[in-house]
Amino acid sequence: MNVRSVRGAVAVAASLCALVAVAACDVQSGSDTADSGASASPVAAKSLKVGWSTIYLTPSWMQQTLKMLESDVSKLRSAGKVSSFKTFNANGDTSQQISQIRAMIQQKYDVILVDAGSSTALNPALEQAEAAGITVVAFDSLPTTTKVIRVGTDQKKWGSMTATWLAKKLNGKGSIIAMNGPAGVAVSEDRWAGAAAVFKKYPGIKIVSNVHSEYNLAPAAQAFASAYSAHPDIDGVFSQGGALSAAALQTLVKQDKKLVPITGENYNGFLKQWQAEKKNGFSSFSTAQPNYLSVIALEAAVAAREGVSVPQDVTVPLPEITDDNLSAYVKTDQPDDSYPITDLPQAEIDKLIGK
Amino acid sequence: MRERITSLTRSNTDLVWLVALLLVLLVAYQHYDSTLFTPASVTILSAQFLPLILAAAGQTTVMLLGGIDLSLGAVLGLAMAVFATYEAQGAGGVVTAAVLALGVAGATGAVNGALVAYAGLPPIVVTLAASFLWSGVTLVVLPQPGGHVPAGLVEAYNNGWYGVALPVVAITVVLAGWKLVRTTRHGLALYAVGGNEHGAYASGLHTRGVKIGGYALAGVFTGLAGIGLAIQTGSADPTIGTPYTLNSIAACVLGGISFFGGVGRMRGTVLGALLIGLLTNLLLFTGISPFYQLIVQGVILVVALALKTYVTREATA
Repeated sequence: MNVRSVRGAVAVAASLCALVAVAACDVQSGSDTADSGASASPVAAKSLKVGWSTIYLTPSWMQQTLKMLESDVSKLRSAGKVSSFKTFNANGDTSQQISQIRAMIQQKYDVILVDAGSSTALNPALEQAEAAGITVVAFDSLPTTTKVIRVGTDQKKWGSMTATWLAKKLNGKGSIIAMNGPAGVAVSEDRWAGAAAVFKKYPGIKIVSNVHSEYNLAPAAQAFASAYSAHPDIDGVFSQGGALSAAALQTLVKQDKKLVPITGENYNGFLKQWQAEKKNGFSSFSTAQPNYLSVIALEAAVAAREGVSVPQDVTVPLPEITDDNLSAYVKTDQPDDSYPITDLPQAEIDKLIGK
Repeated sequence: MRERITSLTRSNTDLVWLVALLLVLLVAYQHYDSTLFTPASVTILSAQFLPLILAAAGQTTVMLLGGIDLSLGAVLGLAMAVFATYEAQGAGGVVTAAVLALGVAGATGAVNGALVAYAGLPPIVVTLAASFLWSGVTLVVLPQPGGHVPAGLVEAYNNGWYGVALPVVAITVVLAGWKLVRTTRHGLALYAVGGNEHGAYASGLHTRGVKIGGYALAGVFTGLAGIGLAIQTGSADPTIGTPYTLNSIAACVLGGISFFGGVGRMRGTVLGALLIGLLTNLLLFTGISPFYQLIVQGVILVVALALKTYVTREATA
């Protein structure tokens, strides 16, 4: 009995600790409420409470995107247009991303930016946010709903333009390995759909292996190595991601094999290797999912709040990196895991969002 | 008899502890979101928590049999894909689609159960293999996010149907159904086989049949979770189910379901799943950095489990 009461006391103490912890969080929220209280005053009435929900935050592409976004936020904050900015990371869990959007609705955000984990699953939540008077702008990985503003690139065109380059480079014949992203992910499927349509027009090109892997170097290298060992006589590689391209090129270089053309993306590790191997006859054609999509998304949201009629679909042109302009992109002093691309001039952004 | 009483006390101590924790979370939640106890919020939150609660119910059924289901996320995705891909037009279509999805999910469970019962393979191996198998099949059914659920149903489910929170109704029906199953011979056999397989066999139970039935029931729960997620999101996504595998296990463990089988209660699982759902939501409100959110979530789960074990150890010993 005595032991039991001790255990009871421990339980009570623990609950108290939990309460204290929650109270500690309150302090933070207290300052938040003070903020929103200030923004309710007529002078700052127009500054917006902005939240960004992203399916992943850890990849370096996302980190760079966040950095660009944050610098734009601080610019808009000093202009008095944005009052607060918060980032939510769903860590790969789409259900959690739905929770995040619902939480933002309940907390009366003015603007929700979203990098969607699923092209369909977020639709009801995003539509609900729109219905609650929140400006929702999706970018990069887009939902299918037509009720929100979508800022992205044409993923099908990504596939078709890189595939066209490869087909022409091979004079319309030869065997190739296709390196795609994870199966069942919309971006990957769209890029491949664009590429597959092109390859259909070139009957001389044979796709000997169609590999799916994460957009990460290690799993991509494993996937490519096994496909390559089964088909060492390939004439080219269609790859729809920078890490995938780097994995393929690395394998060829390491095994001292013939350097066949590989399509790519502005992943610095790949660009560096490309530049190093150019003298050995390596050739590529790359494009980019630009990090400044996030900035365009935020600018579009602010513009929409200011009454500008922003187009529902903002399609950002895909940059083209070729053997000739490669040196303008590659950043030899920066880590492999970065995506060298410069800011888009404000004039270009304004043009895209219909300002 | 004595054992029965101790076991009863133990599960009750478990539940009291969970309810206390839940109250703390609710109070904190209420602080951030004063609309928490309005019908609208209850509907939204229950719609959000339903898939995890049902998935955890499926996991519980397997864990009560002394197994663990690593294929749960894959089967959830499969059921979702089948449900949303089937021509879900009109009420008749929805019911057919649901029956089809539940049939498929139940069958995948039965296959797991048969392999465990007859081939004598460890559940962890069988369900791991099954997770690859069914996520592959899901991609065949639905190669990329899509499918369709009638908009009216999505609306009614997410925003209430004449003020009735449909997800709450669904959870209540499932819990009542479980209670009924528990009182039947099969339900009791589930606990007996999970707790002491040899003893159960010696007392004349068809242990293999019980296992297959239990795994099939788990499949049906998982299928229901998939259908719930499809209705919540208005579509299907072949890769969305994965996180549910581990989250459902966490909910079960928090709810007091033993890894060794035969011990635990469904209401504990429901509380566990609610706790996890509320906790993740609550962390969104606090506005701490996303990376720290994961840390806090992990620490709170471990501390909650450790404390609960400590408080209830007397009863176990």
